[in-house]
Amino acid sequence: MPQATPAKRNPVGKNIDELDTACLVNRNSCTENSELTLANNKGHNAPHQATGDQDDEVLCCEGLSKRYGDFDALIDCSVRIARGDIFGLLGPNGAGKTTLIRLLLGYLHPTGGQCKVLGIDPVADSVEVRRQVTYLPGDARLPRHLRGDGVLRFFAEMHPLGDLHRSREVAEILELNTKTRVAFMSTGMRQKLALAVVLGPQTPLLILDEPTANLDPTVRAEVLRLVIEARDSGRTVMLSSHVLSEIEDICNRVAFLRHGRLAHELQMSDLFQRHRMTATTVGESIMVPDALADQVVVRTTPSKTGRTRVQIDTAGDLGPILTWIDSLCLTHIRFEPFGLRTVYDAVHDGQSFLGAKKTLPDRVSDEVSS
Amino acid sequence: MMNRVLLKKYIGQSSLLFFSCGLALFAFSWIRVWVVSLIDMGQFQTIVEQFREFEKFAPIEFDSLFTYPGRVGMTFDEPIVILCIVIWCVARGSDVISGELGRGTLEMVLSQPVSRTQLLVSHAAVSILGLALLCLLVWAGVGAGVYATTVEETLPPPTVRIPIVGIDLPLSVDDPQTQTLPLRDRVDVRVFAASTFHLFAFGFFVLGLATLFSSTDRYRWRTVGSTVAFYILQMVMFGLGKAAESLEYLLYITFFSCYKPQKMSSIVASEGLAAPWSLTHVYSNIWLPPMVYPLILIGLGVVCFSLATVCFNKRDLPAPL
Repeated sequence: MPQATPAKRNPVGKNIDELDTACLVNRNSCTENSELTLANNKGHNAPHQATGDQDDEVLCCEGLSKRYGDFDALIDCSVRIARGDIFGLLGPNGAGKTTLIRLLLGYLHPTGGQCKVLGIDPVADSVEVRRQVTYLPGDARLPRHLRGDGVLRFFAEMHPLGDLHRSREVAEILELNTKTRVAFMSTGMRQKLALAVVLGPQTPLLILDEPTANLDPTVRAEVLRLVIEARDSGRTVMLSSHVLSEIEDICNRVAFLRHGRLAHELQMSDLFQRHRMTATTVGESIMVPDALADQVVVRTTPSKTGRTRVQIDTAGDLGPILTWIDSLCLTHIRFEPFGLRTVYDAVHDGQSFLGAKKTLPDRVSDEVSS
Repeated sequence: MMNRVLLKKYIGQSSLLFFSCGLALFAFSWIRVWVVSLIDMGQFQTIVEQFREFEKFAPIEFDSLFTYPGRVGMTFDEPIVILCIVIWCVARGSDVISGELGRGTLEMVLSQPVSRTQLLVSHAAVSILGLALLCLLVWAGVGAGVYATTVEETLPPPTVRIPIVGIDLPLSVDDPQTQTLPLRDRVDVRVFAASTFHLFAFGFFVLGLATLFSSTDRYRWRTVGSTVAFYILQMVMFGLGKAAESLEYLLYITFFSCYKPQKMSSIVASEGLAAPWSLTHVYSNIWLPPMVYPLILIGLGVVCFSLATVCFNKRDLPAPL
């Protein structure tokens, strides 16, 4: 009997499953809803006004693709981010994370699909998108002839929602000396400065491409705290990172990209319900009861000693699973939480694993076929 | 169309180059006029006459070299003046997109709510204003030189003409008398207004061309290379067009044919101050009305800027390397 998954709630109290379903049912809502939201945003610096459930969707892409000659940088990518999410973007180098972000901000022109950021199409009006979004590039380079404070002032003046006071505050939190010229700053100092620039304006959406790169552990923790603070103040955050522990700590949703494709999507609350058990047994085959069929995946590997190594991946409530495991006469049992690392490796190796939530297009095609 | 903060940024970025080029142009123009006062071209007349067949390579008739306005006007064809203007135009034009892309700073600037057109127009506005000021500094340098320099002229001795033979005989055998007078008595600085405008038009085209190359590239060194290569190619075409009659058609396809600052000085000398600004009247030794030439350069520059805007808006912006 499949275990009922508890309702997942995002930080602003919305039921994410409901949001996902709403997104799936309204496949075309991306376009329709955008007109409403665009109308709301047309006033200069007008704050985003929620006009209904669909307005909780901050970002949606449908089949977004980017092709350079023969090379597909991004293929048929469909992603939706709800208001208040901290959405993690994971994938190896060259997987398409930065391409996706650059498409959302209008740096690149898509070769297929469409996307809306806060209801605005970046292809049609990328300036309006950037009025509502602050973006930290993966390799943020700043005018070298300016001093730190000059850079903060420059960007605070550039953005209609710019807040020099807040930027200086962030710089102080990150222990950055803003009197130094950018040309004489270390890589880490420049990253801190870029973060102070980006965390100044209070835009509804914050996109951070590897925000903690080149930072020491203390500052990393501060940055993550600032990201959570941004989320708590009602902003939505999308961040890409290679540091899995950071994603695990702060994100509530994660997407994995591989070879330009969206390989997997994950609710972090799902992940916390997953475990991997390893043990050994004496050559017996293990039968999974029907009631637990969709909650466990068993892999067995015979060893030279005549014993069989067993690996059981579990999802959901451990209670009934433990009862079953207890009946298996296993030895050397070890349980460990199913970390993001495991999922990442599985996605990277192209493996399937228990509870793998299908990516959006697969789920939709399932619905259509049913 | 323009962004105040970007304007401020570009002014700050270009100020060092502007002051360097401006100082060089002003000082050189001044000194160039002063040097004019030191050399008595009359002494070189015989030598110059021997090179009459090469007159076609010169930007003006040799006769102009023996007049003060003609010699002062040569300032606008001096390699140093052209070099400084070209340096400004290529440096600023190549900076706008490929320069910022190369430095990686375009990413952060364009993450702000500014359109690509706004960025390009703001940059172009600062560069064009800088170019105009540099051209005015050349004129100001010439003006300062003209007002600060005195020239010594030899007074022709009184003569008597022998009838029938028609020979002038001097009435005195003493050393010729000289008089010192300010150069401004011989040269009207307003003569060079049209030449200054030609210099601006020349720079405007080069600036537009560099901006166009910059908008399609991601490496500044390649933009600079392409612009300089085009410039040299056009210059060679201009030289060949003048050298061989069979290659005269090359003169029609090089922008150097439209740069005629000294011709403008000559026209002013013969036709008056308003003559170079005519859009209808064709004067001797030029194919078109004088004002058409700089307007062709400015028109080509506008086309380059427009194409640059289209290219920049249509292109994908790569991530910094």
